[in-house]
Amino acid sequence: MQRDLEQRGIPTVSPTVSLDVTQHAKPPRAVFLPFLMGHHFGVPFHRDLQRRIILECLDHLVNAERPGEIRFPSITWAQARREGIEIERRLGLR
Amino acid sequence: MTEASSGSGSGRGQLRPGLWDTVNERYPGSMIDKMDFVPLAPVRKPLSECRLVFVSTSGVQPKGTMPFDTVHPVGDYSFRRVPSSARPEDLEIHQIKYPTMGANRDINVIFPIERLRELADEGVIGGLTENFYTFIGYNMDPERLERTLAAEIATAVSEEGADIALAAPA
Repeated sequence: MQRDLEQRGIPTVSPTVSLDVTQHAKPPRAVFLPFLMGHHFGVPFHRDLQRRIILECLDHLVNAERPGEIRFPSITWAQARREGIEIERRLGLR
Repeated sequence: MTEASSGSGSGRGQLRPGLWDTVNERYPGSMIDKMDFVPLAPVRKPLSECRLVFVSTSGVQPKGTMPFDTVHPVGDYSFRRVPSSARPEDLEIHQIKYPTMGANRDINVIFPIERLRELADEGVIGGLTENFYTFIGYNMDPERLERTLAAEIATAVSEEGADIALAAPA
């Protein structure tokens, strides 16, 4: 679907947590996050991380130079979870 | 850091290594496997002038719409329109194919509708299309997926006047 949009002239980008799937599907642009499936934009209530992932995707949309290029931001799942837990504690959710 | 997609399938850092092989063994022929890349469409305007569409395989849908069929033998090839103005409490997920514990607490984890609205309100992006589009990744026939669902969504997205697309799997 992403390839179809690209061929219609709409530039696309997608986050992925499954590098092997992406390498087979060959989308035009992708951003790899080492996250859990179903958590492509991070962890609950971590607005800054969710926003950062979107902005990484948009920056890659603009700056990617080659079809199939994958970007690897320096974010880890452990870091995301740690920060998310701290945020939930501050919000009184844990 | 970037790299070209090499097809090596090293599973570099992903939490579920070998996912493509695992799913393709369980549902033979269901996984998308392309031999080439499509040329990049250029971004013709500054992001602050671009209208963005979000397309997702999360299966997020407005409450009251027909649930996606996650158990049909050949999958579900339908899509739903999700108004980009929708509130999280207006949406629901019927999914058994991916972990939803994060999305059940904060839908932005898989469907960042509030984050995208904020970016539009701030002028980082020019705006959002009236609707976002969702479907599910559980479809056993990739050729049928391309011929029907992908083409239908691409047509709908074009008609919405999208300049750029953020696409997200689940």
